[in-house]
Amino acid sequence: MTPDYADLWEHAPGSHLLLDDDGRITAANATFCDWTGHAAADLVGRPFTSLLPVGDRVLHTTHSLPQLMVTGRVAEASVQVIGADGERHPALLSATRVTAGLPVPETRVVLVDAQQRRRYEEELLTARRRAEESQARIAAAEAALTELVHHDSLTGLLNRPGLLHALHGRLGRCGADPTGPGTAVPTVFFIDLDGFKAVNDGLGHGSGDELLRVVARRLEDASRAGADVARLAGDEFVVLDDVSPEGSRRVAARLLDVLAEPVVLQGVEVVVAASIGSCAAELPVAPADVETAADLVLRRADTAMYRAKAQGSGRWEAHVPGSADPAADRLVLLEQLRNAIRDGELRVHYQPRMDLPTGGVSGVEALVRWQHPTRGLLQPDAFIDAAEESGVIRDLGAWVLTEAVEQAVRWDAAGADPGLQVAVNVSARQLADTDLVTRVAGVLARAGLPASRLVLEITETALMHDPESALTSLQALRSLGVLLAVDDFGTGYSSFTYLKQFPVDELKIDRSFVAGMTTDAGDRAIVASCVHLAHAMGLVAVAEGVESADERDALLALGCDQAQGYFFSRPVPADAVPFPVAVPA
Amino acid sequence: MSIDAALRPAQPATGPVTTRLNVTTTGPADGPVILFAHGFGCDQGMWDGVLPHFAGDHRVVRYDLMGYGQSDPAAYDPVRYATLDGHADDILAICAELDLRDVTLVAHSVSTMMAVLAAIREPERFRQLVLVAANPYFLQDPPGGYDGGFSDADMSEVAGALDSNYFTWAEAMAPVIMGTPDAPQHGERLTASFCRVNPDVARQLLGTMFTTDYRPLLPQVTVPAVVLQCRADAMVPAPVAEYLHEHLAGSTLVQLQALGHCPHISAPEETAAAIRAHLLP
Repeated sequence: MTPDYADLWEHAPGSHLLLDDDGRITAANATFCDWTGHAAADLVGRPFTSLLPVGDRVLHTTHSLPQLMVTGRVAEASVQVIGADGERHPALLSATRVTAGLPVPETRVVLVDAQQRRRYEEELLTARRRAEESQARIAAAEAALTELVHHDSLTGLLNRPGLLHALHGRLGRCGADPTGPGTAVPTVFFIDLDGFKAVNDGLGHGSGDELLRVVARRLEDASRAGADVARLAGDEFVVLDDVSPEGSRRVAARLLDVLAEPVVLQGVEVVVAASIGSCAAELPVAPADVETAADLVLRRADTAMYRAKAQGSGRWEAHVPGSADPAADRLVLLEQLRNAIRDGELRVHYQPRMDLPTGGVSGVEALVRWQHPTRGLLQPDAFIDAAEESGVIRDLGAWVLTEAVEQAVRWDAAGADPGLQVAVNVSARQLADTDLVTRVAGVLARAGLPASRLVLEITETALMHDPESALTSLQALRSLGVLLAVDDFGTGYSSFTYLKQFPVDELKIDRSFVAGMTTDAGDRAIVASCVHLAHAMGLVAVAEGVESADERDALLALGCDQAQGYFFSRPVPADAVPFPVAVPA
Repeated sequence: MSIDAALRPAQPATGPVTTRLNVTTTGPADGPVILFAHGFGCDQGMWDGVLPHFAGDHRVVRYDLMGYGQSDPAAYDPVRYATLDGHADDILAICAELDLRDVTLVAHSVSTMMAVLAAIREPERFRQLVLVAANPYFLQDPPGGYDGGFSDADMSEVAGALDSNYFTWAEAMAPVIMGTPDAPQHGERLTASFCRVNPDVARQLLGTMFTTDYRPLLPQVTVPAVVLQCRADAMVPAPVAEYLHEHLAGSTLVQLQALGHCPHISAPEETAAAIRAHLLP
C-alpha cells in the first residue's frame, strides 16, 4: 500500500506552504488554513508577503528572502501571519529552497505557532533595551563626573589633572608622526599674573576671584578653538595648543596683550600684567614616555616663565632647548625662592645640640629646608648662596628667625625644658643690615621669648669680612641679651685681636676637624686647641658634625662642652625633636 | 563571450580597508572595473548569480557592507555608521586602496544611496552608477506628491519586526563572533557565516533608511546612472523609479520582468543582461 503522503502534508503538525521564486503561494496545507482561517483556493497565486504585516514584510523581503536564495534556507525567523479575520498569529518561519530534481525551484515554508516564545523574546528584548539605556545613563554620568574632576570650579577652565589629561592626549598622538621645521607641535604657555596678590589683599577675595574669572575668559577668547586653557593654582594659568615654533611668539604676544587690558573691579581699574614662559614638546614621544614628557614640558615652561618675570612684568620667554645658562638658572631659582617664601614652601628643621657631660639636650639649631614643588626637599646649600648674593636672604632669614622663635614658644607651651636654646644662623649680609637688631628685638617681643633663649650663629668668615662693622652689630645684638656664636670656627682665618673683642658666647668647631680627630693627630690637635681657646676666652666650646661614639668620647675627653651631629640626631621637623633625649650608648 | 569565471576563485584583496570589508576581486586585472555593493539582508554572495556574466571581461570587485557577512565586527563604529556617509566613505576607501578608476558601481537597495553619496563626493572616480531597486525616501511626502511606499505607522512595525528577530540573528552570528569561521565541518556554522547580520547594525541601517530623505541628493549626481526597477517590489513602488529617473539627470530607466526586491537573486540572467546592455563603453 502506498503511504498517503497527501494526507500527511495536509494534516501535518505544522503549517506548510509552497512558494515559487517570485514569492507566490502555490500550495497551502489544511493545518495552515485551519490556523489562519484562509481558504486554500484564495491563497494560491497570492504573494506570501501579503500575509505579513508591514514590518515582517520588510524584514522578509530585505533579509529572509536574500538569505534563503543565497544559502537555500532560513531558520526560525519570527513573523506574524495575518489571518482571514485580520488577527495576527505569531509564528516561527523556517524555509528551504529546493532546486534539485524540480523543473522550477520551489520554496518550502514551515510555520510553527510561537505565541509563548514571542512573548519571552519580547520580555528579553525589553530587558536588553533597558540595560542599554541604563548603560547610556552610566556613561553620561561618568562623562559628567570626568567633567567635574577635570575642571576648575571657579573659572570653568581645566584644572591641573584636566590639563595633564589633555597634554598626555596630545603627546600620545605624537608617537611616530614625522615632524619637519614649521610643523605645529604641542606647546605649553605658562602664565603667571603679576599683580594678583595685591588685588586679593587690597580688594578682597571676592574681587580676586572675579579677576581670575575675567582672566580665564580673556585667555579663552584669545586662544584658538582647539586650544586647552587651564588654571593650575592661584594665579597660574596654562594655554596648551599645537603651535609652530614661529607661531609661539604670536600666541604669547596675543595673550600678553589681552592681559594688559585693565580690569574694573569694584569700580577700580586694575592692571594685572602677566609673565609668560613657553615650551614646545620634543617630538616624537614614545607611548611609555608620555607622562615624563608632559612633566618636563610643563616644568620648562614654568622655568621660562620665571625667567620672563625676572626681567620685569609683561614679558614672554621661550624655553631654549639645551640651554644651561647659569645666570638664567639663578634668576629662576631666586624668583622661585621669593614665591616659596610667600607660598609657604620653606620648612625649618631642628638639630638637637647635646650637653656632653650630662648627655641631655641643651638646645637646637634651626636649619632651613625648601619643599620645592618639582625638585623635592632642598638643603640650604642648593639656594642659600644665591639668596645671600641677591639679598633675598633678608626675607629668608627673617622668616626662619620668626619661625624658630615661635617654635620655641610652642615647645615651651608643650612642656619642654624651659631653658632650651634655639640657634639661628645669621649671614654676613644680614649682619650688615642696619635693621637686624630691631628685627630680632621685634620677633622676640612679639613671640614673648626671653632673649637669652636665642643664639645667633655667625660664621667666622662673615665676621672677618668687615670686622669693624661686625663688632658694632654684635655689640648691639648682645645688648638685647641674645647669645652669639662663631660658626664654622677654624675654616676662616681669625684675627684674634678682633675675636677677643667680639662679645661672643660660643665657638662652634667646624665639622671638618671633628670628622678627622679620631684618625688624624693634626685634626685632633686643632680640635683640642679650639676647645682650649674657647675656654681661655670664657666661651662655650661646641663641636659640630659628631658621627660616632668614638668622636663623642674623644670630645668629652678634651673637655668640649656641647656637641651636635648625626650620632645624636639628624635635623628633624619640629614635632620629631626628641625631648628629652637619652644619649645613645 | 566565454564565461568561465566561476572556475576562477575570487581573490581576497589585501590592505586595511579591504581586509576590514572582506573585499574580493576576480576577473582580468586590466579589465574595466565593476564594483558590486550588496543591499540589506545578506553579503556579497547576493551577486553570485550575476558574477559569471561579468568576470570574463571585467575586473569584478565585491565587498561586505560593514556589519554584514565577513566584515570585521571589531571595526564597527556606531557613530561612523550612524548615517550612510560612513558606508559611502567605505566605498571611496576601497576605490582608493585598490586604486580603482572609471568604476561602474552596481548597487542594490540600501547601497544605492551610498553609491549616490560616493558619486557626489568623488564624481571623477566613477564611470557609471547602476541602481538596482533604489528608493531615496521610504515614507510619504503628500505636499511633494511623493509616496515612498510606507507610512509613519509602518516604521514602528519595522522596528518591532527587527526586535522580534533579534535573538535569532544574534544566535546566528555567534559562531562567527566567537572566532571559528573556519569550521566547515559544522554545516550550520557555515550557513551562519553566510548572510551574517549583526542585529544592531541591521537595526541602525534600516532605521537610517526609514528616517532619511535622500531625494535632495539626486540632482547633485553628475555620474550617468541606470535605474533597474522590478515588478511588485514591496520596497519600491513603481512611481519611485520614475521619480529617480526624473531627478537623476541623464539617467536611463530599465523595467525588469523580475518580481520582488532582489532581481539579481531571483532573475540573475535578466539582471546581468540589463546591466550589460546599458554599460557605457
